[in-house]
Amino acid sequence: MKAGKLTKLALLTALALIIFIVELHFPNLIPLPGVKLGLANIITVYAVYKYSAKEVALIVVSRLLLGAFFSGNVSALMYSGAGAALCLIGMLLVKKVIPYKYIWLSSIVGAVLHNTGQIIVAVLIVGSFAVVSYYPILIISGCIAGAFTGICAQLLVKRELPENGK
Amino acid sequence: MTKGVKIIGAVVLLVLAAAIVVVMLNFRTSDNTHIVILQNNKVIYSLDLSKEKDRSFRIESPDGGWNEVKIENGKICIADADCPDQTCVHTGVLRSEGVPIVCLPHKLVIRFSDEESS
Repeated sequence: MKAGKLTKLALLTALALIIFIVELHFPNLIPLPGVKLGLANIITVYAVYKYSAKEVALIVVSRLLLGAFFSGNVSALMYSGAGAALCLIGMLLVKKVIPYKYIWLSSIVGAVLHNTGQIIVAVLIVGSFAVVSYYPILIISGCIAGAFTGICAQLLVKRELPENGK
Repeated sequence: MTKGVKIIGAVVLLVLAAAIVVVMLNFRTSDNTHIVILQNNKVIYSLDLSKEKDRSFRIESPDGGWNEVKIENGKICIADADCPDQTCVHTGVLRSEGVPIVCLPHKLVIRFSDEESS
């Protein structure tokens, strides 16, 4: 990997991490497990549209690991890991169909898949289907959060394009 | 708008609409007073809140860690926990069938029990 590329990816990871840490300090308006704005995913969505699958995975994995260590909530890693894996696979697939103009839509797909991954892990860990009753709430909150982060990422992608000379 | 965007958009809309309908049907305040507390999916307490006096007790997790459960005026909530995220504490009192109190780190679930028999 070229140094320039590596630097860009590291910069994006650092940005995502900063956003993640700042968001930890926001009061949680809807205190249910898994309901979150997920602002750091602005970077994920942006990266999905600007970099290769491998590079996005690198950013997301580094951000998740460092985020878990910095926040001291390592047990949350299983949920965020499963969510991120499902979200990434889904987004890399829908990216082929959804053009730049509708990034917010693929972001919604990603967010809902992220919540789906979390619920699956929660069912496995808690060993009870009681947590599934959260799923509809998570879908609604995922759609709202995904649309918001998607719109942010869409603005960024537009802005960066001419700079890159692509 | 391409065909792919339309299809994905329609699927997302359908899922969202279904979720909203389920939430509206399931998330009314429940007048059921029977609750169960599950740990690792095993019932460890089965209580009738209408007959419970105000009290609080600590549930220890086998993996270490605890949740302080509080019963007050026929309502149940988790008053304190030693986990970092405190989501179960912030969830507040148990109100509806659709929103159980869940502590993921300690695999604890408080929900209304299925049988409403008194």
